[in-house]
Amino acid sequence: MKLPINPGTVPPDSGPLPCSDTKPVGAADFYFAINATFRFVLRKLGADGLRRYWMEMGTHYFAPVTARWRSGGAPAIAAHWRAFFAAEPGAEVEVSQTAEVVTLDVKVCPAIKHLREHGREIVPCFCQHCHFISEAIAGPAGFTVRVSGGNGSCRQTFHRRDAQVPAQDLAQIAEVTC
Amino acid sequence: MLGCYDFCGHYDWTFEWLRQQGGEPLVRAYWDEAIHRDSQAHARDLILQNGIAGMKEYWGHTLDHEAAGYAITATDHAFRVDMHDCPSKGFLIRNGLAQYRDYCDHCIGWIGPLMKEAGFVIDHEHNHCGQCWWEMRRTDDATPPSAKGGLSGGQDVRLRSDWKRSGTLDVFQRATDVDDKSAAGPA
Repeated sequence: MKLPINPGTVPPDSGPLPCSDTKPVGAADFYFAINATFRFVLRKLGADGLRRYWMEMGTHYFAPVTARWRSGGAPAIAAHWRAFFAAEPGAEVEVSQTAEVVTLDVKVCPAIKHLREHGREIVPCFCQHCHFISEAIAGPAGFTVRVSGGNGSCRQTFHRRDAQVPAQDLAQIAEVTC
Repeated sequence: MLGCYDFCGHYDWTFEWLRQQGGEPLVRAYWDEAIHRDSQAHARDLILQNGIAGMKEYWGHTLDHEAAGYAITATDHAFRVDMHDCPSKGFLIRNGLAQYRDYCDHCIGWIGPLMKEAGFVIDHEHNHCGQCWWEMRRTDDATPPSAKGGLSGGQDVRLRSDWKRSGTLDVFQRATDVDDKSAAGPA
């Protein structure tokens, strides 16, 4: 199987994100493709297939992120998300961190904002990808994520797995309305 | 959250994931249905309605937005792109990412079906190093692809000293489908 792309070690002198580009922020029109990809996978492989797509991407494509979070703990998680949202056009996000918990207060989701501004039909379960991908990244690093809200703004909280927080209730993640 | 900053990385990963789920037919369906007809519906509308003028408008905006190093040449009968520094493939190369067997195929994977519907055919070559050229002409125009420098002058990517550095070029002639690729030959 070719998909595991990284042994999960953190290269020396690397920044908080595993990839870097020559431009400071991404091209927002790529959100069109992300949304269209979710719709395609849902249509072809069903809801289980879409969740599997998200979880396997979290496990394999984002393995370098897991490695950073495993070795760096909560500070590495907070640094990741600060750098991540700085590179997403239109994002308004506050990242706060204690020794045990990292909280993302997503005031403006850049993807939902851009899709809405361009009149795109958004997959109703779009916001669930944040839970499934982040959980797949965080779990092997010793953390777990809870998401509440959605549909343009949400709160995402990363706890240590031994904190015994209640399981994610998917009903707490809002469906997207256009 | 899936971001647009590293989009090309998880896009490439997605091609290989889909291939493992449903083989190459699922990847081709993805490029046509999800990218051509859904994500890039704005390109589809422009080109179906306005032909070459729509291509100028779409690629002028998109490639500027992605900070590409490119040149566009348009006449009444042909539309040509010389891509000198593909931001998408370049991102993968710089970050050491390679999941799908030929990432570059995704472009003709969605552009090919669009051009077919719009009444155009494509001559195209890519060198797997972030450089390629495209010429679109109407299906009933039998004009062969231009000679080096013949259409875009000094901006022709084939004039670069490193055009053949990869050792293989993928070649498409009057194509509208990724499977129209000629056997990849030595550059």
